[in-house]
Amino acid sequence: MSTTTAPTTAPRPVRRPRLVAGHILAWAYGALLLIPLYYLLVSAFKPNIEIFDKPFALPTGLSLKNFASAWERASLGTALSNSILITASAALLTLALAIPASYALARSRGRLGTAIERLFSMGFLIPGFAALVPTVLLAIALGMFQTRLFVILFMPATALPLSVVLLTQFMRTVPAELEESAVLDGANRWMVLKEIYLPIAMPGIATVTILNVLNFWNEYLFTLILGGPNPNVRTAQVALPTLVSQTSTDYGVLAAGTLLTLLPVYIAYILLSRQMENALLQGAVKG
Amino acid sequence: MTTTPTIQPGTAPLQVIPENDRSASRRRRTDNRILAAFSGPSVLWYLIFTIGPLIAIFVISLLRWGGFLATPSWAGLDNYTRMFTDSVFQQAVRNSALQVIVVVVVMMPLSFMLGYYLTLKPRGHHVLRVVLFTPALMSLSAMGTVFYAIFQPTGMVNSALDAVGLGSLATPWLANPKTALWAVIAVSLWSGIGYTAVLFAARLTAISPEVYEAAAIDGAGTWRRMWGIAFPIIKDYFGVLTMLQFLWNLFASAGVVLLLTRGGPGSSSTTLSYLVYEKAFVQSQVGYSQAVGVFLFFIGVIGLVSIRRAFRQNY
Repeated sequence: MSTTTAPTTAPRPVRRPRLVAGHILAWAYGALLLIPLYYLLVSAFKPNIEIFDKPFALPTGLSLKNFASAWERASLGTALSNSILITASAALLTLALAIPASYALARSRGRLGTAIERLFSMGFLIPGFAALVPTVLLAIALGMFQTRLFVILFMPATALPLSVVLLTQFMRTVPAELEESAVLDGANRWMVLKEIYLPIAMPGIATVTILNVLNFWNEYLFTLILGGPNPNVRTAQVALPTLVSQTSTDYGVLAAGTLLTLLPVYIAYILLSRQMENALLQGAVKG
Repeated sequence: MTTTPTIQPGTAPLQVIPENDRSASRRRRTDNRILAAFSGPSVLWYLIFTIGPLIAIFVISLLRWGGFLATPSWAGLDNYTRMFTDSVFQQAVRNSALQVIVVVVVMMPLSFMLGYYLTLKPRGHHVLRVVLFTPALMSLSAMGTVFYAIFQPTGMVNSALDAVGLGSLATPWLANPKTALWAVIAVSLWSGIGYTAVLFAARLTAISPEVYEAAAIDGAGTWRRMWGIAFPIIKDYFGVLTMLQFLWNLFASAGVVLLLTRGGPGSSSTTLSYLVYEKAFVQSQVGYSQAVGVFLFFIGVIGLVSIRRAFRQNY
């Protein structure tokens, strides 16, 4: 009836919501996140007097003295190689355990499969920390307390629930006919797993590996107790806080040491930001 | 075509003959055998390193055990009666309650709103996303070390207060019994809000735009769309993330407390999970420590069930 109605093909003029308060709050929190990181970054290059006098000023030079000092005092070289060894071995072991299990669970239709899957899903709700003390007793009983080997054997268990459940979801997308025809052609189960399921589950394996590597690398309390304080055995995360008691208030060295342990993770993030964000989003259900 | 009567594991032939009772049950047996062979190792691993220790907590809590190398003896419920009359335990309960409630009540609504804000794709949202994501990559020990320096008497917070003329508010944050626990809470909020917001944003983008368009015609503003439309749709997810933060703060605070305050000064920042750690590894009271662990476990279960109830989808 009215002649002024816009033609239906034109986009409806969407009223832009006013978000002034939103902008302010969001960026205020962003600033709150960035200020400590900025302080960390600039302090790493400053002598202590400069940190006290002008905490937020840019460093006057790019001296690497703090880095050298932190590297030496916390034996970060050994610590970082221990971290790499433990993280890589534990991540591989996790895959070796989780991939066959996920394959079996994905193709099983029986009650046993459902029960096993439930058991693993329950693991999301078990906070790892709860069982710290019994785990120590287990390590002592096995004669492996404060060894890297025990940490490598233990950590996959914390990662299995998420790894198995995620990989099972991926492997469920494999059509049953594909496997049936391969079996008729004489392929055994391992070949089926390797040739048919693994390629399809690759994105899932990548996600799981990124998550596990990040969690293993960053793990603190368990590696502190189970691995122990011995400089030959301890990881970077355990070595770093020892700088606090050694240097007490030498913030420059603390900051430099922190940056050194953060560097590998942030380099990985720069290279794989898309994949890492996806992995962390999918892995959020992990308790 | 023949069916082999004997089934070799690993090369089980496919049943091509129409189902009858015997072949169906045989197939089920083969299936179960393959399942056991392939998933056995990981189930075993999980039972040894996760379920076993979890059950052991309950047993150890009934023992008198003075240190990891001592011989334990039966204590019955002694550890529990001691626990409930221990003033340090009572303080830890109050501290944990304060910590978990403040973190969850502050973090969840703010993260949800921040996540909603991200889905509106305001200018600079890509940069903001990366900024919000950064703490998620940081290890506990790096975070603890940085914040240890920041909260020191000569650290960043006091320097900043001085710089803006509020020097009178400066205090040794970690050594002041009134502020130590709040420092721990601040670190949880600092690191948790951004990541939770990104999680919310990922879920909120799945809401179809038509839902909002209909609301826009009705003249609903941002606030109403956020809480009146988006929130009810993702209410169950809100509950899931609340559960995660609840669990994380209840159990994982031991690490933050250890790095920042060691529960002190006195026991002003001792949380329940730190008490479990302290009793076992500092004071060599293994049995008592696990009694606290059992208590913590039940608080965890009760909390999870209540949060789940509160956020049950109801449309």
